[in-house]
Amino acid sequence: MFAARCIGVSLAVFVLVYVSLSLLVSRGWKLLRRTLRPSSARGAAGLLFALRVLPLGASVFVTLAFTLPSFLLLEPRSTGEAIGAAPLALGLCCVVLLAAGIVRAALAQLRASRALVAWLNGSALMEPQIKESGNAIPIFRVANGSPTLTVAGLCAPKVLVSNAAIAALSSRELRTALRHEIAHAIRYDNLRKLLFRFSVFPAMGELEHAWSEETEMAADDAAVYSFHDALDLAAALIKVSRLGPVESSGELTMALLHSSTALSARVHRLVTWNQAQTRQSQARWAYVLPAAAALAIAALTTYGSALTQMHAVTEWLVR
Amino acid sequence: MKRILDLLRRSPNVHLGPLEQQLLSTLWMRGSATVREIVDGGEIKLAYTTVMTTLDRLFKKEILNRVADGRAFRYSPRYSQAEMEKAAVGETIRRLLGSSATAASLPLSYLVEAVSEHDAALLDDLQRLLDQKRLELRSEIRSGPASKETP
Repeated sequence: MFAARCIGVSLAVFVLVYVSLSLLVSRGWKLLRRTLRPSSARGAAGLLFALRVLPLGASVFVTLAFTLPSFLLLEPRSTGEAIGAAPLALGLCCVVLLAAGIVRAALAQLRASRALVAWLNGSALMEPQIKESGNAIPIFRVANGSPTLTVAGLCAPKVLVSNAAIAALSSRELRTALRHEIAHAIRYDNLRKLLFRFSVFPAMGELEHAWSEETEMAADDAAVYSFHDALDLAAALIKVSRLGPVESSGELTMALLHSSTALSARVHRLVTWNQAQTRQSQARWAYVLPAAAALAIAALTTYGSALTQMHAVTEWLVR
Repeated sequence: MKRILDLLRRSPNVHLGPLEQQLLSTLWMRGSATVREIVDGGEIKLAYTTVMTTLDRLFKKEILNRVADGRAFRYSPRYSQAEMEKAAVGETIRRLLGSSATAASLPLSYLVEAVSEHDAALLDDLQRLLDQKRLELRSEIRSGPASKETP
């Protein structure tokens, strides 16, 4: 019974923290973005990613650092106290939430893996580009009918380039476009996307779209070192778009319409590129480390009383 | 009620990009507007052609109405904000219950996810803009040191 209560209470606290923070983030991310005004697309993407995964990260942290220890240390083991209706119901909600996340992430990964296997069928490794890019990201030349330029894979991402893209792009355009894709691979953007699938909460779609757009712009910035590069990448975007959609399923309609608006914004941004705009100082983020350190010290010094208070909360939940 | 049900049936279309949402919000505030009025209004800092293309797309998605106003079109929202929100709730529930298999939902990164053939005009516009910038860059290089190149 003690173990059941411990699990029930831990899951109940997890779901309470998760839902509360998710609600806060889904309602307040735009305000926070406007207030912090990240100076670069990479900064904005980082901020949006942090906000998107904050509910999951904070819930795991609170559960592992406070709920479990407070229950194990302060709850008497001898009492035959029942779990209680509230922790039981909330615990079940948490199980459903986690199960939904696992299923969504697993299905997304399964679909992506199947697609990757099909695309890699008959592909060839492009040796020269690997050496040129200086990164250990393999680049595969794939048959027509595959996406023109794609990054696939989670922990070991690889770049796929279709024959059509190689034929359509000039060598400079192809090199810049590959740098864009390698930027995605280096930052493990696919893994981040999968984390979004796992972290289930409605009303996060807009935040994810905003992150996706900022991530694309951040990858553009990483690929561009001069105005010439910016124009090359803009040309690559237009040419790749002209190669047409890879799939035409009804479910893609949303992405098609959304991405054309984003494409226009990206091309406009590239043709007005200037170095200062994309490589601004990150002084704003220099405040984050001291603040985090101060928070960690405060948490350590008040950890004992925090455990007591957490136990009081869990007691209230059980009753 | 029928309109809301129609919207719910077409819920995937209700999902809008940030720029589309911004323009729709502007039109809800203004009631109706031409492209020029929106651009001159200063709420949205984007090129005339981008605003025009996005409004045209919203019209094709059947989210906006438009009537001729001189040589331009005057756009107005087809549905109220409340109706759109109800449709969005439907979409949220659909996504939550169903396993959405959109390209964006998969752990893959595309250079350009895909662009519909309706956007050929947009691509032409963007190509013209790019050609113009390339010409400017060439003339800058001819006339002196390329100021926009990195050292």
